[in-house]
Amino acid sequence: MKKGILISPIILFFLILLVFFYLLIIDRNPSELPSMLINKKVPAFEAKLLLENKIFISPGEFENETTLVNFFATWCKPCRDEHPYLKKLSDEKRLKIIGINYKDDSKRAVKWLEKLGNPYSSILVDPNARLGIDWGVYGLPETFIVNSNGMIKYRLVGPITKKNYDAFVLKVKEVGK
Amino acid sequence: MQRILLAILVYLMASQIIAINCYSVEPDEFLQNPKKESRARNISKNVRCLVCQNQSIDESSAPLAKDLRILIRRKIENGNSDEEIYNFLTERYGDFILLNPPFKINTLLLWILPFVFLIIGIIVIFLHNNKSKKLDYN
Repeated sequence: MKKGILISPIILFFLILLVFFYLLIIDRNPSELPSMLINKKVPAFEAKLLLENKIFISPGEFENETTLVNFFATWCKPCRDEHPYLKKLSDEKRLKIIGINYKDDSKRAVKWLEKLGNPYSSILVDPNARLGIDWGVYGLPETFIVNSNGMIKYRLVGPITKKNYDAFVLKVKEVGK
Repeated sequence: MQRILLAILVYLMASQIIAINCYSVEPDEFLQNPKKESRARNISKNVRCLVCQNQSIDESSAPLAKDLRILIRRKIENGNSDEEIYNFLTERYGDFILLNPPFKINTLLLWILPFVFLIIGIIVIFLHNNKSKKLDYN
């Protein structure tokens, strides 16, 4: 009995150590936050388009097919790394991608797209982060998957990369079902 | 000479303290009405900056923090109450954006666990005490 009491803190200590070690080695980002918008309708908003002299009205534009919403900016380095994968998604997978040009210089954004190609079906401008805050964005790039009913189903914080591309495509397919 | 050095030293130390207490709110953000401004400051101190997650948006100089500070002030100018502003933020960013987590079912453990541990601790000490008393008598 006495021995049990003596030894139990040591066992507990090693159990805690094990838990910490597990958290250390699993692939996770502790600063990543879950989105509050999952399973909610896309926010209602109006925004100017970057390339056309038109107004984009949400949620009307989200109601026919699975759509990606990608927040990007030319000052964001990971966005540039992500760009070829967005291109791939729009060219190969025929996905509708709406780009939101977050706190950026419009001229620079246009040049950027001319140089790298344009994967977006429409690009909205968000000069003062109004849209970003409505979507709960806290770090660029962020990509949302919206289903054909205009419901947000998934958010990826950080870029689409070689590593997570296949998993991301799978997610899109899942949402499209 | 020594006095001058001492003065410089004191000055440097003082400037450090001031630097630590300095806030990131920029002058162009201030509201004209001091009452509304103090309300905005108060809210800002309770709102987490999601970029540098252990700072409030009042202390943080991250662009998102500045956007949120401006948004809070605009909402105050529009006549929104403090609660409406907090609700607006948590609807978009979750309870995590509040530095003081609310008392809810999913945060129950967070609030209650310290007291549970305290009680367990008291029980353990009590039992241990009893036992050693018995040993003493023997």
